[in-house]
Amino acid sequence: MSTKRLVRRTVFDSFIFGYLIMVTLTVALQPSSEQMLKLGQNTLIFLATMFLGALLSAALNKSKNPSLHTLGEKLFGSAGTVHHHETVSYRSFANWQLGIFFLVTFVVGVVVTRFSFSELLNEDGFEGAVRLFKGLGNPNFDILPRAVLNIIETIFMAFVATALSVPFAFVLSFFCAKNVMKGPWAYSLYLLLRTFLNFTRAIEALIWAIIFSVWVGIGPFAGMLALWVHSMASLAKQYSEMVESVSEGPIEGILSTGATPLQTVWFAIVPQVLLPYISFTVYRWDINVRMATIIGLVGGGGIGTMLIQYQGQAMWPEVGCIILVIAVVVWGMDQASAIIREALK
Amino acid sequence: MSESILSIKNLVKTYPNGVKALNGISFDIQKGEFVVVIGLSGSGKSTLLRCLNRLHDPTSGQIIFQGQDVAQVQGEEVRTLRKNIGMIFQHFNLIPRHSVLSNVLMGRLGSISNLQSIFGMFSQQDKEQALKYLKLVGIAEKANLRADQLSGGQQQRVAIARALMQEPAILLADEPVASLDPATCHVVMDYLRKVNQELGVTVICNLHFLSLVRQYATRVIALKEGRIIYQGRPQEITDEWFAKIYGQEAKDVHVN
Repeated sequence: MSTKRLVRRTVFDSFIFGYLIMVTLTVALQPSSEQMLKLGQNTLIFLATMFLGALLSAALNKSKNPSLHTLGEKLFGSAGTVHHHETVSYRSFANWQLGIFFLVTFVVGVVVTRFSFSELLNEDGFEGAVRLFKGLGNPNFDILPRAVLNIIETIFMAFVATALSVPFAFVLSFFCAKNVMKGPWAYSLYLLLRTFLNFTRAIEALIWAIIFSVWVGIGPFAGMLALWVHSMASLAKQYSEMVESVSEGPIEGILSTGATPLQTVWFAIVPQVLLPYISFTVYRWDINVRMATIIGLVGGGGIGTMLIQYQGQAMWPEVGCIILVIAVVVWGMDQASAIIREALK
Repeated sequence: MSESILSIKNLVKTYPNGVKALNGISFDIQKGEFVVVIGLSGSGKSTLLRCLNRLHDPTSGQIIFQGQDVAQVQGEEVRTLRKNIGMIFQHFNLIPRHSVLSNVLMGRLGSISNLQSIFGMFSQQDKEQALKYLKLVGIAEKANLRADQLSGGQQQRVAIARALMQEPAILLADEPVASLDPATCHVVMDYLRKVNQELGVTVICNLHFLSLVRQYATRVIALKEGRIIYQGRPQEITDEWFAKIYGQEAKDVHVN
């Protein structure tokens, strides 16, 4: 078995075993909240349990009996070998491992989210919700003209953000494609850009909106900038995956004519990725319209900002009208982008 | 005998994964020859051709072409080399979404600047040349169709026209008929012979079918496990040699 597979199997198994031991310890010892907050110490304990888990995994997988093998072995184990010997499912260790892991996680999840039927059926709370729904069900169309103007602002915000992100993402995508960036220097640049874009994408558009609303002030400009940064990183990633999946044949064909690297990208790769690029871009605009609505909630301008103002004053009929407008536009964009993408295939 | 155009000395290619594709190959090619390289899949035929125009970098050895060791050239010189050696492929390697004419014009990429090519600024002269070569391979009337609307054999002829646009001294053909039906095979092979005889372009061609080899080659080189095991005139390949090249089990398949 290759080292890579071995590492993956060990990490996977030891995480599950370590996690199960940690949960058992927590339930058995009932640590105080003060003890729970000692991050360094708890991390050490977790690492120790993971180490135990790694030992357990190694011991189990040494066994000749395949029904004793762990889930990690089943997932990452030796490539290509199909286990023909069928074992009864409840006799397989891996199945028990998966089942217990899932069950424990579900129970812990219910506890952590403070799931409570009494809250859900509380009379006061329920009446509040009914009042809200009544308001939403009787939208106040007096504010419709302003809502329409605001959603137009949102659509344009999404459009400009998408349009501005395309040229940057287009150029970046080739520098982020493994099959284009060959050679040690090119590969280092590839890794650097990939890391940078992953980092940028890891920060949600909502967070970018908060950053930019401090930077350039609350309003559609901040929202547009936030969407632009996020779209650029997302599109560059999607585009570069397309570049990585192009067929090599045309690249060889163009290279053999004595073409420069730029000519090779332009004539051999671009024709192969153009349609998927357009398709991704249309979809991104669609996503951006939805995101722009949410971003408006934190001061990104457009319909979202309007929504949060009425919501703050508990003016539910007005909120109902705004939600209706958003729903119609999002539905329309969704349909349009699906139809356009279908046509591009 | 005419002058030698290509001289290969002790060529070795080891891939990064440790596979030794070429194991010390040496031979000369004379101007105007139609050399066919035969051998099983994995015998190193494709690697050999790709080393000649530096689509792959040889590990060691010499390739003397036009007085230069092309195994050593770098950067701009690699592109000049590729320009002077045309190549066609098993899967044609055209750009499907471009027109036939535009595909042929791409043969000029090695001669024009980045800016010119990106804006599609091919000269009138180039366009006339492209049409001339399309006429030569008998598909001038398809010039404005999209390349992917053509049949396999037609696409391979477009690929030949593209290679000819480079005004190459040598034309490499990597299994040019392996994905074509038998009838079309001969059409494509006939055009390759035409290019060889009428334009005087030296052809080095990888082939599978021995019957085609006997018909078209002026000389045969047989590879096995990265070494030359036979060199000579195609008529001289006996059944005994055939069994050596392709293994005892093999049978000669006739294509007509």
